[in-house]
Amino acid sequence: MNDLFKGFAKAHAEQNGYLLAATLSPIASSGNPQRLRLIWKSSHSSSVKGDIKHFIKSNSSHQRSLDHEEVKGWVEVYAAYWNAIGDVVAVEDGKSTWTKVYESWKDVTSALIRGYNNFGFEAWTIPCLYVIGKYLRLFAIRSDTERSRSAGDNSGGAALIQDDFDPETEKQSQLRDCEQHLKRIFTLCLNDRAPLEESRKWGIYFIINLLFKTYFKLNSASLSRTILKTLSAYRGDMPALSAFPKSQRVTFKFYEGVLFFLEENYIEAEKYLVEAWELCHKDANANLERILTYLIPCRLLTTHVLPTKALLEPFPRLQKLFLPLAQCIRKGDLRAFDIALQEGEDEFVKRRIYLTLERGRDIALRNLLRKVFIAGGFDELKEGETTPVRRTRVPVAEFRAAICMGSGGELVDTDEVECLLANMIYKDLMKGYIARERGIVVLSKKGAFPGTGV
Amino acid sequence: MMPSWSSAQHPPGVVPQHPPPASYAYPPNPAFIPVQVRQGFGPYTTPPPPPPPAYNPYASNAAQAQASAPGTATSAPPAPVEQPKGSKTEWPESVRRYVQRSFHPENDDASVSRAELEAKLKDTIGSAKENNSLYTIDWDSMPLPQALVRADREAQLKLHHHAASLSLTTPVYTDDTFNPRKRKSNDFANNDTSMPPWHSTNSGRSLEDRISYSPDKRAALDDPKSSKFQKEANKRKRRFENEYKAANISSPSPTPPTSGPIVGTSEVLEKKYLRLTAPPVASNVRPERVLRQTLDLLKKKWRKESNYSYICDQFKSMRQDLTVQRIKNEFTVSVYEIHARIALEKGDIGEYNQCQTQLRSLYAMGLKGNPIEFKAYRILYFIHTANRTGLNDTLADLTAAEKEEKPIKHALDVRSTLALGNYHKFFQLYLDTPNMGAYLMDMFVTRERLAALCNICKGYKPDVKLRFITEELGFESDADAAQFIIDYQGQHLLEDRTEYIAFLTGKAGGLFESARASAFKKVDIKGQI
Repeated sequence: MNDLFKGFAKAHAEQNGYLLAATLSPIASSGNPQRLRLIWKSSHSSSVKGDIKHFIKSNSSHQRSLDHEEVKGWVEVYAAYWNAIGDVVAVEDGKSTWTKVYESWKDVTSALIRGYNNFGFEAWTIPCLYVIGKYLRLFAIRSDTERSRSAGDNSGGAALIQDDFDPETEKQSQLRDCEQHLKRIFTLCLNDRAPLEESRKWGIYFIINLLFKTYFKLNSASLSRTILKTLSAYRGDMPALSAFPKSQRVTFKFYEGVLFFLEENYIEAEKYLVEAWELCHKDANANLERILTYLIPCRLLTTHVLPTKALLEPFPRLQKLFLPLAQCIRKGDLRAFDIALQEGEDEFVKRRIYLTLERGRDIALRNLLRKVFIAGGFDELKEGETTPVRRTRVPVAEFRAAICMGSGGELVDTDEVECLLANMIYKDLMKGYIARERGIVVLSKKGAFPGTGV
Repeated sequence: MMPSWSSAQHPPGVVPQHPPPASYAYPPNPAFIPVQVRQGFGPYTTPPPPPPPAYNPYASNAAQAQASAPGTATSAPPAPVEQPKGSKTEWPESVRRYVQRSFHPENDDASVSRAELEAKLKDTIGSAKENNSLYTIDWDSMPLPQALVRADREAQLKLHHHAASLSLTTPVYTDDTFNPRKRKSNDFANNDTSMPPWHSTNSGRSLEDRISYSPDKRAALDDPKSSKFQKEANKRKRRFENEYKAANISSPSPTPPTSGPIVGTSEVLEKKYLRLTAPPVASNVRPERVLRQTLDLLKKKWRKESNYSYICDQFKSMRQDLTVQRIKNEFTVSVYEIHARIALEKGDIGEYNQCQTQLRSLYAMGLKGNPIEFKAYRILYFIHTANRTGLNDTLADLTAAEKEEKPIKHALDVRSTLALGNYHKFFQLYLDTPNMGAYLMDMFVTRERLAALCNICKGYKPDVKLRFITEELGFESDADAAQFIIDYQGQHLLEDRTEYIAFLTGKAGGLFESARASAFKKVDIKGQI
């Protein structure tokens, strides 16, 4: 425990928040695998508060001395921490549950929040909130898994007076609970009115990112919007996002982008994802991969751009995900597209990109129809014309033949072909109109297939 | 019809003024309780005779009759005494006293608006009448509507997961143990929703009151290090923190949890649904054996009478009995399935959704039933509500074998045709929907017709035959198709050409675009899954 408070004193002397946060980590450090056990063994529940007070005082006596109130607050925090560590050690020995760990870690969280509210903890210590929040979330998830494994109805009496069972809340109840506490930290940071240099507002994006992760995990990503709304209400008082650490910015932009993506606002989504892409560290492959997972489908719909082999070079998983589809789209092979989509369905659905990628079929179809148009060649030169003009009156039957071929020989009736053509026109993938009575499609002389050079 | 008078005078949440405004017409009179109720209920046509200054049983009788009249057009309001139409209801003296008591100024509650009070009163008496318990209920000890409204809010706060969808609840409270002082959050829209619930007990409470609410006296401690400003900030923070905690920890259950699920002993087949506010009593709960008989009875009754409000109420009480006894088996599945189907048929999406949610977890437990049918409904419903998250989750849950089952395949095809705008295939699928899926598809078919029409108007020039629209958009007849176009102000696009009617797509411009946009925008989600 002495080591712990040496670290504590050092952190305070240097005002190094990350060093301080490291002392509150509930895992063993690489240099000291026995760290938790040593801390746990070095005290006893009857004496722990006294011990901590002693260690804090003795280690920092020669340093800038801590305010009485602050010491009181930290004693509470470390006493709760010591207690939680006891549970972690017990879990490792198979003598406790993650649920217990989560509960005791919640006490640490509360003690720390109280520290800021009542005992004047300074803003440089906010990395402690990061560590606390990070593990609160992880413990909640472990507790939920543990509880779902030990099946059976362990919900309390409240369910007894309900009309129906409530399956959803039982499943991830701990993580839901955790969200409440993360929101407390969020408010703690958001509402600090101290001058910016010493404000807890600097913790806001880290906590927001944690909340985003939690909401996505809870399958209620849309709740992230509430956080963003709150944030934008405070935007004037907030330091600019660009002043925050890059890692927090990347994560924040990524989640903002994915949110737009899930709301089908692909234009905005692309904007944020590109920002995240550009900010992301070039060696953070896992993160780059995450960004591309959404950016590629996004681009497919906004600008109809497909990923190149070179771009996907470092990401074998993305190659597997996207290359087969991309190839079918390029070739305009509808049947192969359907098969590729079906084959990747599980993976796509898991990443929530299936419903977006599905719409890539439009681009495949566009490419197929464009081939028909090009194969039609040119009209004969009329008098006075020097540049040849492509044949712009194409019989529906020709498109139909192509679509039947593209669908692997399946017969597609004329009405459906017309329906597909009308869609192309409606979506501005093709310019022209269908003259139903005459059975032809009249295409625009200038740019029948916008953005494709013909 | 809405109570026009009361809503105009007292929007929900606005505290009625004392003394009553001039429009109340009659000054408060200790010997006579002003019969303001009658002005509050719509369908009443003949104005009431001015009540004499002394107690007049007829006037207040009429008021009660109005008070208990259901607001919907489906069932005729019970006729007041002087209007002998339909079945005549005799209102017991005790009910009249109850109504009087409810409107007595002394019992006014600032937090319960007039409209709410009237609705509650109507509800209480109406359901008592339906139950034939008008004479059995001890009206003199019945809690006032004000108290019932507050109790409802309390219950809603606790059950907020389902609160939105419990549209058909008509609770009748027979105990009066709850504490009318215990005010909880307002669930209705009013001005003080942004305030923590306890602050609205008295809307006149001052800021100082609220500050001193904070039990944390450390706020007053002098911190030598922080400035005055900092202290103030901390104080505010602490207050917020306290409130936050209180607001987020749901109010503790009034009774300690019992050791396990109860086993019912009631032998009564039919039971009126009431929302529980306390742990259930075994003598009021039917065991599974009895519930099975109940289900048979209800199935017969539904076939014979098709009285949905009765059936729904009975099913809700069955579901409640199953829940409190923790009965989760194939019988439970069939109760929920049958209720879901009936609700679907009657367009009661709220109840339908509640049943669907339950069925999903019951199937997930491996219980037998008709998961294929209901999973297909689920997909169609998500298409209706344009719930991408829900669709994605449902897709993730389906096994490869399930995807080949006809109803599910149909629903998935519906989904993909819509995603790709293939209205041609969509309307073919619409005309060939398995099970009761058509009830769900009917909910979004108009919107998809508009979308298709937009497509056609942009894609085809100069015109198409009306028959083509009829066939492509799955209308029953040309007349239906024409009517649809006319309904959206497209009459000028129809042209009679002796052999056929032409639809001038080239002239439509953006006519259907705005209708399409608004049809896609408003998806009413009740009892969200």
